[in-house]
Amino acid sequence: MSAHAKEKGMGLWRRATALTLLLLPLAFLLASGAFAAARKTGDGKVTKASGRCGSCHPDERVAFEKSRHAGEDMHCTSCHGGNDQSLDEAGAHQGNGWRGKITRAQDPAMCASCHADEKVMQPYDLPVDQYSQYQTSGHGKLLAKGDGKVAVCSDCHGAHDVLSAHDPASRTYVTNIPRTCGTCHGDTTLVRERKMKDTYHEYLGSVHAKSLFDKGNLKAPTCVSCHGVHGAAPSDIGNVNKVCGRCHTAERRYFKSGPHAAAMAAEQMAECSSCHGDHGIAPSETARLASSCVKCHDKGSKDEVLGATLLADYQSAAEAIEKAEKVVARADAVPIQTEDYKARIEEAHTYLFEALTAAHAVSPEAMSGYTTRARSVGEEIQEELGSKLQNITVEKLFLLVFWFYVIVTIGIIRRFRDAGPRAVK
Amino acid sequence: MADGAGRSDDQPGAEGGTDRRGFLKTLSGAFLSLWALGGAGAIAAYMRAPEHNESSNERVVRIGRLEDLRIGEARLVRHGVSPFFVIRTGAEHVIALSAVCTHVRCILAYDHERRGLICPCHDGRFDLNGNVVSGPPPRALPTYEVSTRAGEVFVRV
Amino acid sequence: MSTLASETPARTRRDRAVDWIDARINLSELFSFLTHFGLIYTPVDTRRPLRDVLEQIRTTPLESYARWPHILGLLTALLFALEAVSGILLAFYYQPTALGAYDSTRSIVRDVMLGWLVHHVHMWGSWLLVAVVLVRMIRLFWDGLYQAPRELLWFSAVALAWLVIQLDFTGLLLPWDEQSYWSAVRGLEIVWALPIVGPMLSALVGGRTMSEDVLNRFYVLHIIVLPVLYLAFVYLTFATMRRVGLSRVGGVAPKLTTFRRHASDLVIITLLLFAGLVTLSTLMPFQFHGPADPYRTPKGTLPPWYMLAPYALFQLPLPRWIPGLALVGTAFTLPFLPAIVRAAGNRLDDKRLRMAGLAVFGLWLVLSVLGAFVDRR
Ligand code: HEM
Ligand code: FES
Repeated sequence: MSAHAKEKGMGLWRRATALTLLLLPLAFLLASGAFAAARKTGDGKVTKASGRCGSCHPDERVAFEKSRHAGEDMHCTSCHGGNDQSLDEAGAHQGNGWRGKITRAQDPAMCASCHADEKVMQPYDLPVDQYSQYQTSGHGKLLAKGDGKVAVCSDCHGAHDVLSAHDPASRTYVTNIPRTCGTCHGDTTLVRERKMKDTYHEYLGSVHAKSLFDKGNLKAPTCVSCHGVHGAAPSDIGNVNKVCGRCHTAERRYFKSGPHAAAMAAEQMAECSSCHGDHGIAPSETARLASSCVKCHDKGSKDEVLGATLLADYQSAAEAIEKAEKVVARADAVPIQTEDYKARIEEAHTYLFEALTAAHAVSPEAMSGYTTRARSVGEEIQEELGSKLQNITVEKLFLLVFWFYVIVTIGIIRRFRDAGPRAVK
Repeated sequence: MADGAGRSDDQPGAEGGTDRRGFLKTLSGAFLSLWALGGAGAIAAYMRAPEHNESSNERVVRIGRLEDLRIGEARLVRHGVSPFFVIRTGAEHVIALSAVCTHVRCILAYDHERRGLICPCHDGRFDLNGNVVSGPPPRALPTYEVSTRAGEVFVRV
Repeated sequence: MSTLASETPARTRRDRAVDWIDARINLSELFSFLTHFGLIYTPVDTRRPLRDVLEQIRTTPLESYARWPHILGLLTALLFALEAVSGILLAFYYQPTALGAYDSTRSIVRDVMLGWLVHHVHMWGSWLLVAVVLVRMIRLFWDGLYQAPRELLWFSAVALAWLVIQLDFTGLLLPWDEQSYWSAVRGLEIVWALPIVGPMLSALVGGRTMSEDVLNRFYVLHIIVLPVLYLAFVYLTFATMRRVGLSRVGGVAPKLTTFRRHASDLVIITLLLFAGLVTLSTLMPFQFHGPADPYRTPKGTLPPWYMLAPYALFQLPLPRWIPGLALVGTAFTLPFLPAIVRAAGNRLDDKRLRMAGLAVFGLWLVLSVLGAFVDRR
């Protein structure tokens, strides 16, 4: 290629580049305009789940697309009826059992049309008795009576945005359940209007709520643990203790073996909640061993004295452990080997817990097995470590021998020193 | 010259031959040499490194001989504030898992019949994989690696 | 006496041993070297045979410094020797790592036989050493011993005090327990706040915040760098002393004694010192604290006591550079006190100077007390 041709080629190139550079923004503008147009109509893009409904109901579509239902063979029309391929409103809103907006009264039955069908639910391993349970629940009964303000499926599960209960974003995930129930049972105006207890806020102050929210213990009970899920009902006198006893098994066992069980049943008293309360269950407090008796028993009666005895027994054991811990701390400051003692104290803490559990039998015998063990561990440790700390005095005695030795040595050196001549000159 | 100041105390002994002085001198010598003996002993004692089996830094705990563990039997090993169970589940199979309940740190008990761990405090139950079976414990129990070397069982915590 | 030739039949076994050695190495050199550290006092001629040198050492009269107030200088050397011995023993077990420091220290005190004694002797020794160097500095000032020809003595006294405080500060961190950790953090904050010097020292020490690097550097400073520097200044101290003699306060000349008496005194003092440390360690052992937790400051942790005064200064409602400059200024004028006094000429007589020193000392005490309480508002 000659130099000239080369130059020519370069010139062509340069022009082409300039043109492209000029045209590029233009092309970009055009393209983005086209995209914008496409997006505008794209709202009505036909998706598998919502068909064309989203063109006019974009919010519902977005909610629905994220739901658990969307991935399955579920469409807008599954619940609402109508034609989701229609290009106009009139066509869309008719036929195929068109229902339009679903009323609260219709809601449970509509959900049940699938969720009570064993065939449909079988692949998902979901129960099918929710609807029948719901009909027996407080909510369901009131709904049947025409009370439109009670909870229906969509209040807890959402309408379009139904999520699995295992999804942490779901309203029915364990940690979200209290808030979900609380939308009504913690709504101050609603609560006043319908003369209910504000159980949500009571619950928030309970040990159960602390365990659930602060410690992340998903095993801590929420509303549904005691009241049932779909068959939500207030627990009655005979049942509360069973509900508590599901987790507090050992307490219940002891309680059953004690005198309270029969007596309280006779008086129609709730077992656990009489002392511990219900929704706002406070942390267990050992002082209540003695202080809760007077709620029923006369002051100074032998039953009240019994409570005081239990408390005293427990406290003396706890004190022994506390003292042992102090001795261990003292030994650590020396330091003396304390790992073993720490392990034993750890065990003694277990005994103390067991003693509190056993206290539900309100019998000193049932409790003393544990308190005695805890106390003796505490006392043994105090004694053993105490004597080890004492042993340090042996070293102090040794110091006497050492000083005797030092002084004699100094005596010898002084003799050696003075045997020589005094200062020269 | 050699009999200068440094040796003036020798001379009365050598010249006078008084036994008492010589005796005193040997006695003093013996006494002083005890310093060397004591010092050497003390340093030797100090130099003997202590056995490390109980340091909190220790990662591997020696449990004992495999044949001393019966099959199906659990042994509670008190390892400071984090005791654990060593359970021989089969001829060759030994497992180790924490004995501290994940609820409020009670020490668990081994349930031979159900092959699980039971918490005496609130009746929490665990299986031998550490999973919570029932009760209030929120989390599974930590399990530890077990190794058997020359018939000796070690647990790495 | 000196006419006795080395070949006399009256040769004892000791003489023969000395000759045997002398024929093989020139021990006189060693003795000459030792004179620098003040143990042996006589100028030693390294060309003469060992027997002569020994004889010379034995017979030359000397001024003994094993007496008040000269004993302060002796104690700075003796206590340091005890610290070195116990420190080396500790170093056999100590591990300067964040993981190992606490455990190894605890193991020394708890599990190693007599480890507690070594540890507590080291701790008590460091306390005494700090006290001794400070008292010695005060006494040198009081008696005007910074004046010619003792400028170097004063200079090394200040250096020794500074080194001991650094040794104590670096040593205190080593156990890595909650107390030592946080008081070192407080101390580092002060160091960092000093203008100019602060950043330099922080770089030397491994950063402004506490970390394993700082621990490791503190360790190296503590067991190698600072002790070597300390030895250098001990040498300087004894070297000036041999040249210019012991001080004669009030015109009283120190008594002359023999080497034998002097050496005996040294042994006795060492023994008493050791016995005293053992006694303190047994009767008043230091408390052992829990391991350091970088995320939790124990309440009321203060910097080491000698840092309380700067600590208080920094709590004053002033811009930080003002107390910082004051501190750095004091630190740099102290060693050069002799030159400053000379420059001041006759305007400062002895009495006024003493009063000024006393005032500074009083201020330091007051600030220290303040420093101990500022935090507990
Ligand atoms: C050559 C000299 C020295 C060596 C090799 C040495 C070595 C050591 C070692 C290894 C430790 C850590 C062990 C432990 O914490 O128990 C330590 C701690 C310590 N050292 Fe030194 N040291 C020497 C000199 C000094 C001096 C002169 C002082 C005094 C100012 C001193 C003050 C301390 C202090 C206060 C501790 C902390 C003790 C503790 O709490 O355990 N050291 N030293
Ligand atoms: S501590 Fe184990 S169940 Fe409560």
